[in-house]
Amino acid sequence: MDLVTIEGKWDFNYTYFAGESASRFFHELRENQRIMGTRCTKCEKLLVPARSYCDVCMAPTDEWAEVGPEGTLETFTIIATAFPGLPPPPIVMAYVTLDGADTALINLVHGLDVTDIEAAAQKLNTLPRVRVKFVDEPKGRITDFHFELI
Amino acid sequence: MSAAIIGVGQTGYRRSFPDKSSRELIWEAARLALEDANMDIDGIDMVISGVAPDALAGEASVERTAMLGFGKPFLRINTGGVTGSSAVFAGNTFVKAKRARAVLVVGLERMGQATSSQQVFNTIFDPVYEKDFPLTTITMAALRASMLMRLYGYNAMHWAQIASRSFRNAMKNPLAHIHKDISPEDVLNSPLLAWPIHRFEACPMSEGACAVVIAHKDMVGDRTPAWIQGAASITDSYAMGDRIHRPGATLVDLLSLQMAAQRAYKEAGVDRPREQIRAIELYSAFSSAEAMAYPALGLCAAQDGPRFVEAQFTDPSIPVFNPSGGPQGANPVSATAMVRIAEAALQVRDMAGARQVADVDRAVATGQGGATQFSTVCVLGKRQAA
Amino acid sequence: MVEDVYIEGAVLEISWADQKRSLTELIYSTVSKAVEDAGGSYDGIDSVVLAAHDLVDGRSLSSMVTAPAAGAYLRDEVRYSDDGAGAFAAAVARIEAGESERSIVAAWGRASEHDVEELSRALFDRIFLAPLGLEELHISALNAQKWRLNGGDCSQVEAAQAARGAAAKANPRALQQGGFRSTPAYPLTSDHLPLWADVVAAVVISKRPAGVKVKGLGLSSEPYWLGDRGIAKAPALQRASERALAEAQIGVDQIDLFEMDGMTLYDEAIALEAIGLAQPGEGMRFLAQDARCNPSGGSMAGYGVPAMGLARIVEATLQLRGTAGPVQQGKPRTALASGLSVTAAQTQTVVVLEAA
Repeated sequence: MDLVTIEGKWDFNYTYFAGESASRFFHELRENQRIMGTRCTKCEKLLVPARSYCDVCMAPTDEWAEVGPEGTLETFTIIATAFPGLPPPPIVMAYVTLDGADTALINLVHGLDVTDIEAAAQKLNTLPRVRVKFVDEPKGRITDFHFELI
Repeated sequence: MSAAIIGVGQTGYRRSFPDKSSRELIWEAARLALEDANMDIDGIDMVISGVAPDALAGEASVERTAMLGFGKPFLRINTGGVTGSSAVFAGNTFVKAKRARAVLVVGLERMGQATSSQQVFNTIFDPVYEKDFPLTTITMAALRASMLMRLYGYNAMHWAQIASRSFRNAMKNPLAHIHKDISPEDVLNSPLLAWPIHRFEACPMSEGACAVVIAHKDMVGDRTPAWIQGAASITDSYAMGDRIHRPGATLVDLLSLQMAAQRAYKEAGVDRPREQIRAIELYSAFSSAEAMAYPALGLCAAQDGPRFVEAQFTDPSIPVFNPSGGPQGANPVSATAMVRIAEAALQVRDMAGARQVADVDRAVATGQGGATQFSTVCVLGKRQAA
Repeated sequence: MVEDVYIEGAVLEISWADQKRSLTELIYSTVSKAVEDAGGSYDGIDSVVLAAHDLVDGRSLSSMVTAPAAGAYLRDEVRYSDDGAGAFAAAVARIEAGESERSIVAAWGRASEHDVEELSRALFDRIFLAPLGLEELHISALNAQKWRLNGGDCSQVEAAQAARGAAAKANPRALQQGGFRSTPAYPLTSDHLPLWADVVAAVVISKRPAGVKVKGLGLSSEPYWLGDRGIAKAPALQRASERALAEAQIGVDQIDLFEMDGMTLYDEAIALEAIGLAQPGEGMRFLAQDARCNPSGGSMAGYGVPAMGLARIVEATLQLRGTAGPVQQGKPRTALASGLSVTAAQTQTVVVLEAA
């Protein structure tokens, strides 16, 4: 007797509302090529990416401030295998604390020679300073910029 | 202590069970747990179901396809990787609240029906800021592993040794998914996924179901209990970037696990975990993630981690980690944190067969969910009072 | 019951497609307001119990971002993928168990971000039912038609609908602009359908005496197979309400106010019969004529699964406090609220509350 299997594909559609704060963050990326954080009214940390409230304090943020354009690499990984729906490897991904920010931001790191992964890892282990680089035609998405080693 | 685990049921874990529907897996685990508890479904006052991302099963609300017993209170929990432990803790709560004399808790993982789990896992990240990246559970762990190596001097061999230990323990567990004698060298020779993580340091995609019966102390009778001496759960903030600069608790300091451990230990009367806990079923999705748990569980200082790993292979006084093989042996996501508790319960009840550790007066089971955002710690013991 | 548990804060916010606010911002807003309503301080809050569903939120393990928005930072938080009233029951149990002294309970469903029909179809098993294109609304329609065939008083349908409509219009918390209605199926018409909306409900509960007390809780379930369930009878609701009323030591005739969760007009009518308020077939007449029944406007005021059980609890709480606004029904001293789960009301939670 054959075991029945039924093929299926889940393909749900969503429209995510980014909200005013995230929209303004993206607007600043596209129009002014700058990365913005917001300050918590209670703990006074400058939170990046900008957001309307601080979830540690459960308090609103107020002041908007630019961070970077340089920063410090906090940790990284080098992605060596391909995953469905994602860019081809090898890719360097890192958390970077941009100058002025109290939190780190994630993005890809370009411009590093990754033919020898171990060597690239050792280089990144020195936590080099990085600089933000914007693409030629920013669209108002997190992929409008990446990091480069200085 | 008001409540104990008196029954455990596990279907065993595999890549897929093509001959079983989801409801059949749930029934099987439940049946085994009830048998072990020497109880029938009528003795159960409530059922709590743990099922994590629906997308892994491709069935929405799959838990509702398998009602157990007639008309019982029923609730489903989904807290990602800690679903299994959240569900056990909820059962414990309803018993302690005297709203149930016995609760049946079942966790089902049905990822055998999914083609790619990573595609699903990518959707756990923020659609606004992070979806465009290859941010996955693997890269998440890699970001931390590289930080651990830089800060504390761990090296690739440490990760490989932990992984190999898990695989070799799994060989003694007939329920585990992977039964392969993998050496540390085999681990290092396996493909690199995201530096520094190799494939054999990651968990398999496993499906299966696990169930436990939790009973009020007055119901235990002459059954063999594993007393729930301590149970604690803590949620951290989401953005890993926010944790990097947190004073005293950065990205690789598992603050939520540390807090949960402190609470659970306090409840259980544990103040010297390295001596008082004999077996630890520790959830870590990758062997390197285990290193973050050691200081959080009070087993060693963070900077002594590498030596602690090395000592596991030479010092018999150190608690035994993942005698079941842990998540490297089988990782049915929705159930995995419950499997840790179930295995810890078997250890305490001296029912763990070939994988039994000697003299387990107390065992600990941990759970992690999200990017180590959710942490749970459960202390089980032979004795009712601490 | 081991401890008396009180509701200190209760807020319900219903909106539609507010592009200014992300889902987490909506949750942060409602939870902050509930804490404000409870006295303004997070002191003593040691637990957060949530009800939400990944597929509604649009991401797997959505509680990674939503839990912190609900105040979960470094607290004991758990997320039920179940109805908000069920989560409420679990939070009450935490306090009764001595695990918590003060807890946030929050539930949400943002219909404007997803396709409600698509999602509803996904709830049915892939093997026997999904190929039929079934949605939960079709189950409501089947129940409605069965109610009619059983001799339900159909003459009251229009009046019941008018009463609901008037209540929804008068309810300051109801959605007045926007929202979504899906496609009706016979015998349902568009007016009977829920107004899908972006719903967030939040309460703060505690051991400390406050205006409203939890008197009883009851939960129950029905089999998965639709053919095994009691059609047009809501047996899980019946059992849940029996349990809650027994715990509260009170009869349904002593309840002053009812907020019954139901996807459609007919579900609400059947619910009133299931709890024993109305005789079989009479539920529609009660909805039409008895002002104690769903004064909020029910599913017409705004519907967002899985928040609705908690939304009903909030509406009942406001009534007991006397702060429900234009829809206030006198000075009720006791209230019964219910919440149902997927799939098609398979499990139900009933809560009995009392003005303290």
